[in-house]
Amino acid sequence: MGTLLRSALRPLRRLGGLRGQAADVPLRGVRHGAAGLLYPGHIPTSPLQKALLAAGSAGMALYNPYRHDMVAVLGETTGLRALKVLRDQMRKDPEGAEILQKRPRISLSTLDLDKLRSLPEGSLGQEYLCFLDVNRVSPDTRAPTRFVDDEELAYVIQRYREIHDMLHTLLGMPTNILGEIVVKWFEAVQTGLPMCILGALFGPIRLSAQSLQVLVSELIPWAIQNGRRAPCVLNLYYERRWEQPLRALREELGITDPPTVHVRGLA
Amino acid sequence: MATHRSRALWSRVMRSCRLPGFRSSWPRGPLGARHVSQEKQATETHFGFETVSEEEKGGKGDIAFRFLNYVHEQHKGKQKRQLRAQQNLSWEEIAKKYQSEEDPLGGSRVVVCDINKEMLKIGKQKARAQGHKAGKSYGLAWVLGDAEELPFDDDKFDVYTIAFGIRNVTHIDQALQEAHRVLKPGGRFLCLEFSQVNNPLISRLYDLYSFQVIPVLGEVIAGDWKSYQYLVESIRQFPSQEEFKEMIEDAGFEKVTYESLTSGIVAIHSGFKL
Repeated sequence: MGTLLRSALRPLRRLGGLRGQAADVPLRGVRHGAAGLLYPGHIPTSPLQKALLAAGSAGMALYNPYRHDMVAVLGETTGLRALKVLRDQMRKDPEGAEILQKRPRISLSTLDLDKLRSLPEGSLGQEYLCFLDVNRVSPDTRAPTRFVDDEELAYVIQRYREIHDMLHTLLGMPTNILGEIVVKWFEAVQTGLPMCILGALFGPIRLSAQSLQVLVSELIPWAIQNGRRAPCVLNLYYERRWEQPLRALREELGITDPPTVHVRGLA
Repeated sequence: MATHRSRALWSRVMRSCRLPGFRSSWPRGPLGARHVSQEKQATETHFGFETVSEEEKGGKGDIAFRFLNYVHEQHKGKQKRQLRAQQNLSWEEIAKKYQSEEDPLGGSRVVVCDINKEMLKIGKQKARAQGHKAGKSYGLAWVLGDAEELPFDDDKFDVYTIAFGIRNVTHIDQALQEAHRVLKPGGRFLCLEFSQVNNPLISRLYDLYSFQVIPVLGEVIAGDWKSYQYLVESIRQFPSQEEFKEMIEDAGFEKVTYESLTSGIVAIHSGFKL
């Protein structure tokens, strides 16, 4: 009886792993502090914990769309395979490889706002600042990565989060619910992250019929087309391209002008 | 400095949803508290209705409320019996007797003490919701204080209870000594706390739940992984039933006993100052 119970519990033990230690932690990168921490803010998690986190964060994000931290957690716990593909793609591209090496971060402390404001009208830097001002957002609201068990992949997902506002600027999409869904579709096609795909599919759930119609007939096809046509947007060293005119950058990426849509109740 | 850090930690925990904390101790939380109050009721009948006051640690006051309700019931019962014993009272005199009762608790008082102001605030809200009022006349007082250095004189209390609080004290032995100091001779110390599980199967399941599920719940519901990781780790760090019994004896208590609940997930320790 005892041996039966013990053998029943063995898979439980494997699932649980050591108290909180991740199963396969690659031996790269600098170890920060206590055993197993690969980067500041890293929380090692077992496969069972990741599964529970993924399910819980998905449910909570649906239940309370204002829990952006849950969307971030969902992305981290489900995105391992997609992140590896993205990282390999970046390595093959010269600009992407440089980003992986230099690890630039976009935040209010790293951006030179005065310099950006002094740039000519129509440049990427100007348009980006304009976007931040008009929509009243800041690049500092991105949560730091915690549950990715590879330090390079943790940077990749952090970079993906930090260029989200850049994508809004590129695509010309506002930060209302429709704009966010369009950007999510673009990101889903570009990155293949399960979180983007889930967000793209479930985001429209709370929309009105009219918005849904506009979304499905015009905005989503446009987003998918541009997503497939454009090269990987993570390979762009945005910090070097502030002076580049936005129009020229859009041409380079093959991004066409967004369709003009008028939906009652949305700006 | 350690107290300052634990103050900050508990303020952070209080700001998030209170539910996950309940889940980590459910169903032991409320059952354990009920068990402790029943234990204390036995004390009360042993010492009669002359219990002047009792102290409780733990700002939310669950045990305090049960005690007050119990004393109130007992007092009402005593009143009824007294009236029945007196014969030939007119209905006016009886009504006056009931109305003129100034102290519905017969002199019993409860002091609730906690290091965290937010906890005390919640406790006061709960008290108001249940109809108790603070102030001497109604027997309930709320005091901000540190278990390692209580703001009370020696030999003041009949009973000292602490539920799921002593594990968070930095110097447990100092808290035990303070408990001994403020109790009257004959007073009783009661402590409800997480303890060591004695059954290997339950222990395995309990560990799995504690380490795999609770921090995840903390993250999903409250957005706070770290506090709940700390919670489950602090539970494991707490001494076993026997070790804690010895610590209580070291502080000067006698006739120290313990009772494990739910295979030892929690335990109630009791000691007397004689």
